[in-house]
Amino acid sequence: MSVWEFAVIAVLFGVGAYMVTERSLTRIALGVGVLGNGVNVVIITAGSNTGEAPILGRTGDLTDPLPQALVLTAIVIGFALLTFLMTLAWRNWTLTHDDEVEDDVEDRMIASRAERMDKSGDQPHHEDVVP
Amino acid sequence: MMLFVAIFAQFAVGGLTLVGLRRRPALAAALGVVVLACSAVLVAARGIGGAETSSYSVRWLPILGFNLNVQLDGFAVVMALLVSVLGAAVLVYSLAYFEHDGTYARFVGLFMAFAGSMFGLVLAEDLFTMFVFWELTSVWSFLLIGLNDKSTSARQAAVRALLTTGAGGLCLLAGVGILQVQYGTTSFSELLAAGPSGNFAHAAAILLLLGAFTKSAQFPFHFWLPGAMAAPTPVSAYLHSATMVKAGIVLLARTSPIFADVGVWRWWVVVAGVVTMVLGGWRALREVDAKLVLAYSTVSQLGLLTVLFGVGNRYATYAGVAHIVAHAIFKVGLFLGVGVIDHEIGTRDVSKIGAARRAMPTTTLAMVLSLLSMAGIIPLLGFATKEKALVALLDLERDAVGVVALAGVVVGSVLSVAYSIRLLRAVLRSDVAPERSQVAAHSSVDADHHSSVAVRIALSGPVVVAAAVSLAAGLTAATVGSWLVAPSKSLDVNAVSKLALWPGINDALITSAIVIAVGAVIGWRAPLSQSATSAATGERVFDGLYDTTMRLAKRITAVTQSGSLPIYVGVTLLVAAGGLVAGLVIDAPRLTGGVSWGSPLEALVSIVAMVLAVGVAVARPRFAGALFLGGVGYAIAVLFAMRGAPDLATTQLLVETLTIVVFLLALRSMTQKTGTHVGWTPRVLRLGIAVGVGIVVPLFLLAARASRIRPSPAQEYFARSLDEAGGRNVVNVILVDFRGFDTMGEIVVLAVAALGVVNLVRRAAR
Amino acid sequence: MKMRSSAILSELVDRWLTKVATLIAVYVTFRGHNAPGGGFAGGLLLGAAFVLQFLAGDEPSIRRRPIRNPEMLLGVGLLAAFGTTLAPLIAGGSPLESYIWKLDVPVIGEVKFVSSTLFDLGVFAVVVAVVLMILRALGTEGAGVSAHRGRAASRDQGGAPR
Repeated sequence: MSVWEFAVIAVLFGVGAYMVTERSLTRIALGVGVLGNGVNVVIITAGSNTGEAPILGRTGDLTDPLPQALVLTAIVIGFALLTFLMTLAWRNWTLTHDDEVEDDVEDRMIASRAERMDKSGDQPHHEDVVP
Repeated sequence: MMLFVAIFAQFAVGGLTLVGLRRRPALAAALGVVVLACSAVLVAARGIGGAETSSYSVRWLPILGFNLNVQLDGFAVVMALLVSVLGAAVLVYSLAYFEHDGTYARFVGLFMAFAGSMFGLVLAEDLFTMFVFWELTSVWSFLLIGLNDKSTSARQAAVRALLTTGAGGLCLLAGVGILQVQYGTTSFSELLAAGPSGNFAHAAAILLLLGAFTKSAQFPFHFWLPGAMAAPTPVSAYLHSATMVKAGIVLLARTSPIFADVGVWRWWVVVAGVVTMVLGGWRALREVDAKLVLAYSTVSQLGLLTVLFGVGNRYATYAGVAHIVAHAIFKVGLFLGVGVIDHEIGTRDVSKIGAARRAMPTTTLAMVLSLLSMAGIIPLLGFATKEKALVALLDLERDAVGVVALAGVVVGSVLSVAYSIRLLRAVLRSDVAPERSQVAAHSSVDADHHSSVAVRIALSGPVVVAAAVSLAAGLTAATVGSWLVAPSKSLDVNAVSKLALWPGINDALITSAIVIAVGAVIGWRAPLSQSATSAATGERVFDGLYDTTMRLAKRITAVTQSGSLPIYVGVTLLVAAGGLVAGLVIDAPRLTGGVSWGSPLEALVSIVAMVLAVGVAVARPRFAGALFLGGVGYAIAVLFAMRGAPDLATTQLLVETLTIVVFLLALRSMTQKTGTHVGWTPRVLRLGIAVGVGIVVPLFLLAARASRIRPSPAQEYFARSLDEAGGRNVVNVILVDFRGFDTMGEIVVLAVAALGVVNLVRRAAR
Repeated sequence: MKMRSSAILSELVDRWLTKVATLIAVYVTFRGHNAPGGGFAGGLLLGAAFVLQFLAGDEPSIRRRPIRNPEMLLGVGLLAAFGTTLAPLIAGGSPLESYIWKLDVPVIGEVKFVSSTLFDLGVFAVVVAVVLMILRALGTEGAGVSAHRGRAASRDQGGAPR
């Protein structure tokens, strides 16, 4: 493992983590793309040392083929995932002219109900037993 | 085999009623009566005729060693007869009690399903089988208590009953699990032979007791039973006095011989039983609702039964079996009788039910007989069995447990005489005039419902028959007693005794006389119109726990489910990074893995990749971000090529090209710049998380590389690739051959993603 | 003049690019067993060719793609992969077991065919189909939807609905 691999992984993960905590779906998708690249580099770096391509008949040290097989499919699936995310963003934009992820309304409602309960100190018993 | 047929037939009628016979509930009930009667005949023919015990088994989960085992030993015969005969009687009664509407159809269906479950429970030969039916009875009980689903209190009572018995059921399951793991069996006979002892047996015993006590409403879990009286009278009579609440007693009866000498078993059983008996008796003496009086008296009597099976001497077991029978008979009669009165004059208030006396003398007489049986007055069956209980307890060693048991039961008996006498007085009271309006209202209703003789017979019949049986069995106590010897022996081989109408003057009789005298005085002087007592403490504690739990759940939900995606993702990242840090702390020395400086070319490409990656984050225009992302991908592709992964490099190059195109297509319609609105937390915090993740991941990778404990399977793949799969490119051979299943899953994911994209676009188009 | 050259280019791409690209992509797929390449790479290569064609031509021309029904191709690809997995079961082997046939062809010499090549062809077909489906959805249908929605939105509310 070289210093450069270390640095690339650090930057890719840092940028990815920074971007997936945003609200714009486009930015999130970009972040997922960066993170995906980072993960692929991690798998390759973790599993093997540098060497010749793992093709029988070549001379020299062959690299480990297993991480490569894993990453190969990961690359293609990552593409499918990104496409799906971007379609979601596109769809959100088409329908609402915005690609930001809003807060979940249901979750908010539960939270406000709990607050109300704490304030009034009423019995939740009835409310919950009775649908 | 026939036993399973009987169980199945009862379930089948239940299911049929709920599905097919909703419109014809009376027909369904008649069918149910026939099936229950046939079951009773079957049990009688098999169990009483043959001397040997018949048992059957159905393989269920042979891999786990779980089978459904049933057997028809003496005790099972008695219980199964009670379940089927009383079931048939209550069903006949219900025909006249209910309006024949959808509710009645539901009642019949659930009732039959319950009967089948209870039938299975009493026949169970091992704890696992018993547990299965046990849980079923809890569910049916829940649904039956809440039969009137428009009443809030009924629903609350149902929830209380379900949660209490359900929690007990889980304890029971845990106990069964311990026994299964420890002894490899849950069969009663095999466990008895194994003679459990030690810590595991102790834990299992405590868990079984928790199960039994919740089900049979023993202190401190007794509160749900009076609440269950929200159910219609036939349900209360059958489930909550005669059968289901006896399930815990059945469990005690079956397991007492196994665990009697384990740890706290005997102490706990006796103390819980005694406290329950006294407490229930005391409450029964103060309630004004006749049905609640009966409910608390049931609690009290269950306490007595718990004591009897808990002390486990040879007389006590016999007395317990006999008293189960006596109690079931007189209690069914009383419940149904109160139901008749309620139906007739529209009240169950003990200060008013005397008004029904004149209108229905036969029913009143029958209730008097049943009450006398409950009080334990000669010559009714209750006298003989209560007498036997006293004999058994007087016969105990005078150690601490024995003294507590005896003293408690004597006090409890005084109270049960007292509440029986109080209720007797209420029933016979002639100086109450029924309120005019009530009578008027009800007589008009009666004109519709009670005109036919058949309805009257159906309502009063079971009450009268129960009383007659109590009397007849009391008069022929010796004969009836001899029938109960075999059932007792099937629980405890040493069990002996006999019943007698007149036992002769002995300690027990003298005690009994004193008990009756004191009890009668208390009962006679107890006011009928006691001011209504507040909710039972147990109920309040339960509700408090319930409310607190719900409130806590809501509060936790409010905190954890903020609804904000950035927060969810941020927390996820933090937790993941935290896990990695924990791993690093534990394995810190391994961080010394070799780090090289790499080639100049590698340095160049890496720097390009990093700069482009930062560009993705910094650029506000969307297109720019997409292009930077593509650039990162190309740089990574070069790194792959340098690391000896040409396949990856090719694929990555193509994918990045396609990714850019997809971004361009999707972004065509959007504004150029993304919004700057983040609306979550300060940017500093997000930067902090990002930096943390960025540092922790490569550090962990360093440690992981140094921690390899097994060689890579690469050598094996190299060796097998050409011969077995005929390929030289090992990466490809892994994909299409060695790990072909994985690849298959992956192309399915691809297909699903593409279909998702297509459908998202098409739906937006509509 | 510019228009004209663009039309020629578009026609050239239409006529030849996909045919040549298909040949190369299939070659890459077959070659993958012994050298860099394989179904994923081959499929993406052909997919990229379609993208190029899409970018070069007028948008509606995508309907004249040689493969009119990518869903069908997707199904065929999945079936090929499934079939190769399960076929050895019928022959009494274990799933995904490889069979190697060797033929002596005059002039060319020995030709080897491995059954798992079929599996790789399935992967190839799935990847091509996925790219085509995405291209059609986001490229053609999506564009129509956006245009329509945008007009409707600005007509109804005189601006961006929010």
